[in-house]
This record gives sequence, structure tokens and C-alpha cells, in this order.
Amino acid sequence: MTVHAEDPFAACDREPIHIPGSIQPHGHLLAFEPRELRLAHASAAAGPVLGRDPAQAFGRRFAELFAAEAAPTFEAALRALPNPGVARQLGPLCGASGEAFQAIAHRSPDGFVVLELETMPEDSQAGGVAPEALYPAIRDAFDRLRRAISIEELTAVAAAEVRRLTGFDRVLAYRFEPNWDGVVVAEDRNDRLPSYLGLRFPASDIPAPARRLYELNPQRLIADMDYAPVPILAARAEAPPLDLTFATLRSVSPVHLEYMRNMGTPASMSISLLREDRLWGLLSCHHAAPRRVPFALRNACDLIGQMLSVRVAAEEATAHAEARSRLKGLEGRLLARMAMSARFPEGLAAVPADLLGLAGATGAAVLTMEGCILVGRAPPEAAVRRIAAWLSERGVEEVFHTIHLAAELPEMAEIADRASGLLAVPVSRLHPSYVMWFRPELVRTVSWGGDPRKPAAPAPDRLHPRRSFEIWKETVRRRAAPWSAAEIEAARDLRSAILRIVLRHAEERAALTDRLERINEELTAFSYSVSHDLRAPFRHIIGFAELLRELEGNKLSEKGRRFLATITEAAENAGALVDALLAFSQMGRARLNRAMVDTEVLVAEVIRSLAQDIGERRVTWRVGALPMVRGDPVMLRQVFQNLLSNAVKYTRGRDEAVIAVGCELGEREFLFSVQDNGTGFDMAYAGKLFGVFQRLHRMEEFEGIGIGLANVRRIVERHGGRVWARGEPDRGATFFFTLPRREEAEAQEGEDGEAGQ
Amino acid sequence: MPPDLKPILLVEDNPKDIELTLVAFEKSRLANEVVVVRDGVEALDYLSRRGNSEVGARRSLPVVVLLDIKLPKLDGLEVLERIRKDPDTRTLPVVMLTSSREEQDLVRSYNLGVNAFVVKPVGYREFLEAVRDLGVFWAVLNEAPPQQESLPAP
Repeated sequence: MTVHAEDPFAACDREPIHIPGSIQPHGHLLAFEPRELRLAHASAAAGPVLGRDPAQAFGRRFAELFAAEAAPTFEAALRALPNPGVARQLGPLCGASGEAFQAIAHRSPDGFVVLELETMPEDSQAGGVAPEALYPAIRDAFDRLRRAISIEELTAVAAAEVRRLTGFDRVLAYRFEPNWDGVVVAEDRNDRLPSYLGLRFPASDIPAPARRLYELNPQRLIADMDYAPVPILAARAEAPPLDLTFATLRSVSPVHLEYMRNMGTPASMSISLLREDRLWGLLSCHHAAPRRVPFALRNACDLIGQMLSVRVAAEEATAHAEARSRLKGLEGRLLARMAMSARFPEGLAAVPADLLGLAGATGAAVLTMEGCILVGRAPPEAAVRRIAAWLSERGVEEVFHTIHLAAELPEMAEIADRASGLLAVPVSRLHPSYVMWFRPELVRTVSWGGDPRKPAAPAPDRLHPRRSFEIWKETVRRRAAPWSAAEIEAARDLRSAILRIVLRHAEERAALTDRLERINEELTAFSYSVSHDLRAPFRHIIGFAELLRELEGNKLSEKGRRFLATITEAAENAGALVDALLAFSQMGRARLNRAMVDTEVLVAEVIRSLAQDIGERRVTWRVGALPMVRGDPVMLRQVFQNLLSNAVKYTRGRDEAVIAVGCELGEREFLFSVQDNGTGFDMAYAGKLFGVFQRLHRMEEFEGIGIGLANVRRIVERHGGRVWARGEPDRGATFFFTLPRREEAEAQEGEDGEAGQ
Repeated sequence: MPPDLKPILLVEDNPKDIELTLVAFEKSRLANEVVVVRDGVEALDYLSRRGNSEVGARRSLPVVVLLDIKLPKLDGLEVLERIRKDPDTRTLPVVMLTSSREEQDLVRSYNLGVNAFVVKPVGYREFLEAVRDLGVFWAVLNEAPPQQESLPAP
């Protein structure tokens, strides 16, 4: 809960409660300058103790003010006080009046040696408690705390033990929430005061200066709320007020006294519960009547409080460790799956229960550049992307979590039933990629000790604390159950694991690219060698067969001449095969030299070039309107050359061949088609059409080596298009291919360097 | 052979190719002598030795060098490079006569200043025609660059 400027209680956050300038009246306070122990401050009523008016006592040494027999021991003890800190009991000391006091001393933060003389309580039973008399009770309390196993049980035991020792009507174990609201987690009481168990008190009830004092000085007693404060006098009029941070008699704020009156608790005592010097709770004792508690007993309660803190810390550490080890197991399984998948998001989402279990979530999302995977009851993708954008804007470095997403992003109130709680980790240093976990709204009823919206009632003279501590119920919405430290750590660990995996994948990819480049180089060298060495022998066979025919042809039988012709023909075929193969391999490696190509002109030229193949046949060309495209003119010519010459070839048996060339304009691509009424093919073999050296017809039916369509596919794909065919035996065939339209073609050119290698 | 008829230099390592090429020249009835060297080093030796007095009479530069690419020791491209670097042979007509059309060879040859690039056809008739056309073009039709007299007579 934030404190706003107009909040009347904000004043309490600034009140200098450690220098009130007065004490409670159940004792006297004397402050000595440290070197010679001369009196510098004295509470106004200390005259009888000092045997003279404080004004006459100022400047006098301790030994001059107290009985000679006690002085050396006490002086030695006072000089031996450690640096500013918690007060210690020095034992009984008699004042000039003969009255015995409990002497308690400490060194104040402003450098004085402070001696507090508490009057012995009238209740003699509690009066002269010696520390050793308390030992069995403390021992019992420690035993019970050792045996308690849950936080609930520990706090309940501590509350009961403190009440048993002190006899307060009600002892509360009060625990602070992260926003400093306090919740009563355990209580031990009689019927004189009402139960506050389970109630929540707003942070403003214990303002920041009070919390700071609780951290420094773990004990605070207000014996009677109706006390009349006793001012502290100083030897020098201009002296600053004495710092009472560690004083046991410190007078408290009038606002607090009024708070006690409104609560109906005339006496109260607090024991701070600290963990690593930070306040995490209080043992708060109340009484329906004024009550004094001797210092030794207060120390005993402090010990119980310390033991409680240690045990709670240990229990929480154990619970945390158990949760961590369970979540580590889940994390291990997730990592194994991520390591096995090519992409980590799929591995992560493969078993939804594990991903959700890692953070005890009901929904999760894995958002990367490749897409968004939703798991369980996650919000819709649009909301996930909105959250990611917001997280990126916010610059979340490692982990972000909230249980009240709608407070951060009001539009998320609509999906509170899925995403009130958000735990998110960024998993890329470059892109807005996140793993997110979600928890639904958990509608809860919170019982307040009084209406927290009315912390104070402003009055003309000064502010007053609220009067009513009647239970006030509030329904809390759009908040999820809190994320535990173990869950947050698990998310953080998963993040670093993902970053490692992604990094490893990148390295593997780089290594693979390296290897591919090397293989490609070898292939190029191989192909170069083949192109020179494999072609020559066929040329030689043909050449020498021809020479033989010229030289000895007329001596050979007809059969012999036929054999010779077959040798030549076979070698010519083999040579053509090598040439085709080399051309195909070069096609994959050559750079695309892109330019604007008018496919209508191109098709007309190709048709003209086919005139020789057509000869006397009747072929009707139906060419539709064809577009300008961006591509390699030489390669695109080969595409049409192959498709149109195929169409001519496979319509050979028709009286009239009809070949149609057309193009449709798609949204992002051109769709070209070449249709014929030829011999067609069985769709069962459609997949084989575009393979290297794949033929669907016998050699004698249709010549060719079966590489033309493989070339078509390679060229089209290198231009970013697709190719396919439809056919039916004896009913003709239609070949389709696409080429990207200009914008897409240009976008693709950026990547062309890679494809062209 | 008339003294002013310059030879054709054939740089070729494969004996079968040599034989086929020589037959082709024979059939084309060219009067020029065809000098055959078997690798790149021999080719350069031949070209540099032509003014050497030990060998006797000044030998004129060939009318054209037909240069295979795949050669032992120095390959055809290296030979071409050295021919172009040497001031004496800088303008000498050189034709790559190769088994295969490889893009990289084509690009490098022209970058190095080749005069022509011819792929040996697989078919015999086409091969004969190619060799005959080359011979006729370089030995008869083409006007050779003026002889460079960079070396003073000894």
C-alpha cells in the first residue's frame, strides 16, 4: 500500500519517535557524559533518587550521586557498556530516598551512558524475577518450539509461551506482508480481549519509523496508556533531545496511545521478530488493564522471539529447499526435451503438465520469433503478445512477476480469470521472446481489523487514529495466489538453461553451415573434374569409331557397320547424359542474374525455336496474357523451353496438338500453366515427374534423358516458386509453376546469396 | 613450308585428343604446321625459346595457341596468364580448347584476356567442323597482331 501525500497518516511516517523528550513514569532516566560519567540529562521526577533537585545534580559524577558502596561496581559496569545497542540489566540499585530500583543501562546512539531505573512492580510475584528463575520456563518454551513443525504451530507455541510467562490477556503473532500490512497468524488469549486471529491490519497502523525502531530495539513496553509523560531535563538548555532508541522507558506517540485506547488495551508489549536484521513480524501482547513486566521477563520473551525467528527461518528454508528440489526435477525433464528438439519451444511445451508444474501455473505461453505456443488455460495469443510488448517496453531483464496483472495493464482485467498472476522470463537478448506462466483470479475475502480505508479521523487539532476495530470484510478481486520464491527461482533457472540451449543450437548451426560449405566446395571441385574428364572419353570413342568407319568401313560386314554405328550412338547418348547432368549441377550453383523479364516475349521466342521439332505437325498455340516478372532470363527461358518442348513432344500422336500457356495473378504470386492434350500421365506417378532421370515413358516412345523437369523444378524453386502437375493417361497434362510477385521477389533476393552458393 | 607461314601451337596432354585434332587439321587441308606440346611448361618453353640463337633461326610466334585447360604441371589458365604478362606474347592470339564449359573457366579465361573459348563437341562431325573453322579463322582470315620486336638482335 503506497502512502499518498493526502494520507493523514503519512505524518506518522515522519514523526521523530526516537527523541520524544520524555519517558513513561514507571522509572527514572539518567544520562551521563561517557568520559567522567557526569550527569547530563535527568528525567524531571528523578530528584528523590538523586537526593537533590536535578538542576543541582547536573555535572556531578555518578559516584557523587549514589551510595559509596554501590558506586565502584556500577561505574565499572557503566564504563564497560558496549557500543550503542540493546539495554542490559545491571541489578538492583538504591536511590538517595532508599527506594530500590531495577537498574538497566545502555549506550545511546548520541554517545551518552544511559541509566534507567525502573520501579519494582507492586506485584511482588513478578517483581524480583532473577534470570536464573526464568531458565526452566525458557527451556520449556525452546523445547516446544523445537518440536513444532509448521509455521502455524511455531507461532502458536511462541504466543502461548509468552502469555504463560507474562500473564498478558492476549498475545498475537503478527506477520508482515510484503506491503507491510500485518496479518495475525496466531493468537493466545483469555476472554478479556476479543480474538484478532486471521485479521489483517493496514501498513499505516505501524508506520515506517516505528518499524525501524522495532528493528533496532526488539522490546517495547507501554505499561499504562493513561500515563503522564515525564520530561527529560538537560544540563545545558541548548542540548539536543536525548536519543531514546534503546531506552526501555521511552515515551510513545500520543497517536499511538489513542490507538490503544480505541482498541481497548491499556497495556501493550511488543517483541520484534527479525530475520537477517529485517523485521518480519511481532509478538504483540495486550492487556485489558495497565500491566508492568519486569525487564528480565521481557528479555525472556525476546529470547523466545529469537528462537521463533530461527525456527521459522529453518522451516521456510526446508520448505523452500523441498520445493526447489521438486522443481529442479521438472526442470531437468524440460531441459532434456528441449535438448532433443530442434527448436526449444516445442520441447518446452511437449508435456504441458511439466511446464505448468514448474511454476504451479494453470496456463503458460512460449512466445518466440517463430510463433506463440499456448499451454493450459492461457490467455489468447493477442493478449500474450500485448503482455510481451509491455514487458519489453518495461525492460524486464531476468524475471517479472505479479499477482495483480490488471493493476499493471488495466486491459488485462478482461482476462483476469486466466491471467491475474503473471510470471515471465525473457529468453532472447535480441527479440521480444518470453516464457510466461499464468494464474487465474482468486476471489478472496480478507478480514480487516477495522476498515483500512479509514485509518485516521481528522480532527481540528490533530489527527486521530481510527476508533473502530470491528471486523471489516473486503472481497479481493483480480489477484492470483502469490508466486513462491522457489517458483520464481525455477523460472529464472529455466531462463538461463534456455539461453544456454539456444546458444548451443546457434553454435551447432554455425558448425553445420561450415561443414556444408566445405562439402559444397568439394562437390564443386568434383563436378569440375567430372565435367572435363568424363566428357573426353565419349568424344574419343565417337571420334575413333568414326575414323575406323572411314578407314575400314567398306571392309566391314553390314552387321559390323551397324555395331560401329551403335557404338557411336551409345557414346553420343552417354555424352549427352553427362552434359545434362553437368548443366543440372551448374544450375544449382550458378548465381541468379535477376532482371525484368517479359514472359510473353520469352514464350513467343521459345515457340519459334520449336518450329523445327514441330515440322509438318499441326500444333495450335493458345497463349494468354503473360506478365513481366523478375528473374534470371536465361534460366526462365529454360523453364519454358522444357515445358513447351515437352508439350510438343508428348502431343506427337495427336492429329491436332493444342497447347495453352496462361498465367493467373495471385495475391502474392503469378501462377503459370502449360496445358496440352497429349499422352498425359498417371497421377500415381506425379511425385516422380520432377526427379532427376525419372521417366514415365519408355525410351523408344519418347526420347530424352529425363532431366528437363528436374531443371524446371530447380529453377522455379530457386526463384522462390513452386511447381506441380496434373494429368490423366491419354487426356493430356497441365504443368503449373508459381513465381513470386515483385515485392516478394525482392524480399527473397536478400537471401539469394546463400541459395546461390 | 613457306617461311612466312606461322605454325599453330596445340597444347594438349591427351594423346587421343592430339590424334583426333591432328586428323581434323589434316582433313581441313591447312598448310600451317601444327606444333604439339604436352603440358604448360613445354608450351612456355616453346614460346620463350623462339629467338634463342642456340636453336638457330629466329622462330616466329605461332599464328594461334590452342590451349587445353586441364594440363599437367601448369594448367591452361596459368599458361594464359603468363603469356599475357610477357610483353613479347601479350597480344598473341590464344584460344581455349577445352572438354567442358565450366562457368568459372569461362570467366577466368576472359578476365585473363583470352581471344576465344571453344568447347570440343562430342560428336565427331561437329568436332571436325570446329577444328577446321578454328584453323581457317586464325590461320587464314584473321590478321595477326604486328610482330613485336622487343628483344634487340644479338
